[in-house]
Amino acid sequence: MKFDLNKVRNIGISAHIDSGKTTLTERILFYTKRIHAIHDVKGKDGVGATMDSMELERERGITIASAATFCSWQSHEINIIDTPGHVDFTIEVERSLRVLDGAILVLCAVGGVQSQSITVDQQMKRYNVPCIAFINKLDRSGANPFRVIEQLNEKLGHTAVAMQIPIGLEGSLEGVIDLVHMQALYFDGENGETVLRKEIPAHLLDEARAKREELIDKASLFSDDLTNAILEETEITTDLLISAIRRGTLSRKLTPVFMGSAYKNKAVQPMLDGVNLLLPCPMDVTNQALDMDQDEAPVTLSGKPADPVVALAFKLEDGAYGQLTYIRVYQGTLTKGATIINVRSGKKTKIGRLVRMHADQMEDIEAIPAGYIGALFGIDCASGDTFVSPGINYSMTSMFVPEPVISLAIVPTDNKSQINMSKALNRFTKEDPTFRTYVNEETNETIIEGMGELHLEVYVERMRREYNAVVNTGQPQVAYRETITRKAEFNYIHKKQTGGSGQYGRVAGFLEPVPEEEFVFDNKVTGGTIPTQYIPACEKGFRQCLAKGPKMGFPVTGIKITINDGASHSVDSSDMAFQAAAHGAFKEGYAKAGAVILEPIMKVVVETPTEFQGNVMGSLNQRRGIILGSQEDGPQCTIDAQIPLSEMFGYSTVLRSLTQGKAQFTMEFSAYKQVPNAIGEELMKKAQEKKSKVA
Amino acid sequence: MQINEQMLWNPLRRLGFATDDLLSKGAFGAITGRAGVGKTSFLVQLALNAMLRYKSVLHISLDYPVKKINLWYKEVFQHLAKQSGIANPNEMWETILPFRFIMTLQVDGFSVPRLMERLKDLTEQKIFRPEIIIIDGLPFDGSIPGILADLKPVVAENLCAWFTVKTHRHEAPAADGLPTQLTGVKDLFEIIIALQPEGSEILVQALKGADPSCGRAVVRINPSTMLIQVAG
Repeated sequence: MKFDLNKVRNIGISAHIDSGKTTLTERILFYTKRIHAIHDVKGKDGVGATMDSMELERERGITIASAATFCSWQSHEINIIDTPGHVDFTIEVERSLRVLDGAILVLCAVGGVQSQSITVDQQMKRYNVPCIAFINKLDRSGANPFRVIEQLNEKLGHTAVAMQIPIGLEGSLEGVIDLVHMQALYFDGENGETVLRKEIPAHLLDEARAKREELIDKASLFSDDLTNAILEETEITTDLLISAIRRGTLSRKLTPVFMGSAYKNKAVQPMLDGVNLLLPCPMDVTNQALDMDQDEAPVTLSGKPADPVVALAFKLEDGAYGQLTYIRVYQGTLTKGATIINVRSGKKTKIGRLVRMHADQMEDIEAIPAGYIGALFGIDCASGDTFVSPGINYSMTSMFVPEPVISLAIVPTDNKSQINMSKALNRFTKEDPTFRTYVNEETNETIIEGMGELHLEVYVERMRREYNAVVNTGQPQVAYRETITRKAEFNYIHKKQTGGSGQYGRVAGFLEPVPEEEFVFDNKVTGGTIPTQYIPACEKGFRQCLAKGPKMGFPVTGIKITINDGASHSVDSSDMAFQAAAHGAFKEGYAKAGAVILEPIMKVVVETPTEFQGNVMGSLNQRRGIILGSQEDGPQCTIDAQIPLSEMFGYSTVLRSLTQGKAQFTMEFSAYKQVPNAIGEELMKKAQEKKSKVA
Repeated sequence: MQINEQMLWNPLRRLGFATDDLLSKGAFGAITGRAGVGKTSFLVQLALNAMLRYKSVLHISLDYPVKKINLWYKEVFQHLAKQSGIANPNEMWETILPFRFIMTLQVDGFSVPRLMERLKDLTEQKIFRPEIIIIDGLPFDGSIPGILADLKPVVAENLCAWFTVKTHRHEAPAADGLPTQLTGVKDLFEIIIALQPEGSEILVQALKGADPSCGRAVVRINPSTMLIQVAG
C-alpha cells in the first residue's frame, strides 16, 4: 500500500431526498470500478424495483450507507463517508462531519435549492466543510442549471460559479462543455464510461466564452497571479485557473458547480475530476483535539505521521468476524502490533488486525497513517472513542455527555421484533452515549432516553429499517427533576419494637441547596453519637431517597445533606435501622425545604427565510420561550431561543406548516430550571390522577 | 427577586445627568469614540442598568453576531455582580434576561422600514415591547441624516435610542468640539458622550446634555473590567 496524502479525499455526499444521491453514488462506484453493473433505483430490471435505497444497497452487497466506502479515481483514493440525513444536533451528526474533509452538494436541476438542501448546507457551514456542487437531473423536463446557481447564491449565500455548461437540456441533453479546458465532453459506451473530448459546438461557443470569463473573474479574487495574467492579458493556463478555484473552494468562499445527469450516465466523471482537483486533501484541513489534562483545552494536531497517534473511532459495524471499528487517524500512524489507549476508558489495547475496505474485499494492511481512514478488528470500544499513543491524553470529542432529557416507552409488536430490538438497542447505546435504555420495573416497559423528540424518532426508525424491529411507541415523557430551595433541619428517630431484636437509630442535621452538584453528603457527627460504622448506612439511606423525590416522584438533584447529631442503641441499632432513620430524616427535612420541580430547558435555534421571521418568533413565544435574539444573514435568519422541552413536542410539524417547510431547527439541552407554579400545579394534578387510576 | 441598590446605581449620574434613564422619551443619545475604546460595552452597561430596573432593551447590532453580544452582556453583568457583592448572580441574570432582545442585521441590510417591520413582528405578537433601542455599528456617513430623520417618528412616542458613533484618530473635531460625524445632525441628539483614551484609561466626557449642577465628577472606564467608574 502506497501512501500519498495529497491524493486522498475524505468526502461526504449531501443531498435533498429526491436529488438523486443514490443514483449518483451508484455511478461513482461503477466508474471507479467498485461495482461492475448498474441497476435502476426505480427498478426497470427488477433488482431495485420495489426497494428503497437502503435495501437496495444491501441487495447489491455493498454498503453505501456504511461508514466509509473506499474507491479510487485517477490515482486518487476517495473515501465516501456516510453523512446522516437528519438535522438533529446529536453527537452522531457531529462525529460524521468531523471525519469529512470536503463534500459534494447534490442539487436537482428542476427542484433547485429546496429546504433540505438548505439543511445540509447549514451543516456544512457549521463545520466549515468546503464543497463543490453537482446539479443533477439535467435530462428532466424543466431543468435549468443556471436558475439553480442563482438560488445557490441567493438562498444559501454561496458564490457559486459554473465549471460547465450543458450541451442541450432535458430530452436532448448530450453532454457538457468544460469551461476550464474549453472542450465539449460527450459520454459514450453502454453506461457512459467513455469520455470523448471534442471541440465546442459553434452555436455554444459564445455562451461558453462568456461563462468562462465569469469563472475567471470570480476565481481571480483568490489568486494574484491570475489577476496579473488577466491585467497583462497573458495566457491563463489551466493550472493557474484550477489553483485559484481550489483556493476559493477551500476557504468556502467559492462553490464550483458541476452538472450532468447521473441517471443518463452523463458528466459524473468530470465531477470526480473536480473532487480530485478542488476538494481538500487531509493536509489542507486543520484538526483540533481537546487536551484532557488541560481541562479540555483545544490543541491543534500536527497531522504528521511520525507524531504520537490521535485517532477517532467514528462508526461501528457488525461483520462476519466481529465488530469492525472504522477509524480516522488525525495524527501519527496506527501500526499493527502497536499499543494504543482508549482515552474514554483508559484501557490499553494492542492492535491486532488493520484493514481497509477495498473494491469488494477487505485488504489487510500494516499501518494507517494520519489523514487516512481504515478499520480495526477486535477492539472493544464505543463509537466516538478516541485512541492515542501512550503519553498523551487528547480527545477528538468532548467527554461531557449530557443527561437524557426525554424518554419514550417502546413495545415490540411481535417476538421477532423483541429479539431484534434488543440487538438494535445494544448497538445504538454503544454508538451514541446520549442514547440510553432501561426497563421500567413498575410497568415492565422498555424505555429509551435521549436528547430530543427527533433524536428518539431517528432511533425508532433505524430499529425498523436496519434491524427489522417494529415497535409501538408511547407518549414522550420529559425528564423532570426535583430540588429544594432553602435550608431545613431534621431530627428523626426510627424506633421499632415488634418482637425479637428491635430497630433504633436517630439522625439529626440539615439539608440545603447546592445548585452546581447532584448530591453532597457531609458527616459532621462528633463524639460518636452515631457510631462510625453506621455513617455509610446513613449516606446510603439518603442516596436511596434521591431516586424518587417525595414531592412528585422525580429524581432529586442539587442537594447537600449534613448530619451533625444522632443516637444509637447498643442492641437495637443496625445498618438497616440507620438506613430507615435516614429515609425518615430525609422526608422530614424535605417537607420543610421548599421543594420545587425542575424542567429541562432547551437551546433552540431556528433557521428560517427572513419572510417567516415574525411567524416563527410568534410560535416560539407561545411556547413559554425566551427569544434571545435574531440574526439576519442575507435571505436567511437565525433565531436563538430558550424553551422548555415539554413545550417543544411536535414543533417540527408546526414549523413546517408555518414556513412551507423552508425552516429548520436544532435543539440541544441547555439547563434545568424551575417550573412556573401554574405548570407545577398542573403536573401535580396529572400525577394525582394517574395515581388514583392505578389505585 | 430583590435587586441590589448598589448594582442599580448609575455612575453616569455623577457626570451631570439627573436620572438613571439619561434620555427622555423620543430622544436620541450618542456614544462617540475611536474603534476599540469600548463603545459597545459602555452601551451594554447602560442596557443592563435599564434591565435591572425592568425596562426592556432592544439591542440592534450591525457588527457582531447574537452570540458575541450575549457574551458581552454576560461578562459585564458578572463584573457588575462581583463589584456589587451579589450572592446569587445566576438567579438575577435569569430574572433580567427577558428584558433584552438582541437583533443583528447586516449593515447593507439596515433600513428604517426594515427595522419597523421587525419591530412590528415583535410588538404585535407581544413577543417584546422595547422601551430603549440600542443601534450599534451604524455607519455615520452621508446617509445618516436621512436615516435619523426617518427614525425620529419611530421612537417619538414610547422609545428612546442610543447610537454608537465611530470617530477616527486622524480627524480633528469640528469647531463646536463635537466629532465631525455629528455635524449637521447634532441637534437631533439630546445627549452626546465621548469615550476618550487617556494613557491606559478611557475618560468618559459629556459633550452634550449634562447639567453641571447635577455633578461634575471625573468618570472613567476601568480597563480591566470595562466598567464605568467614578475616579478617585
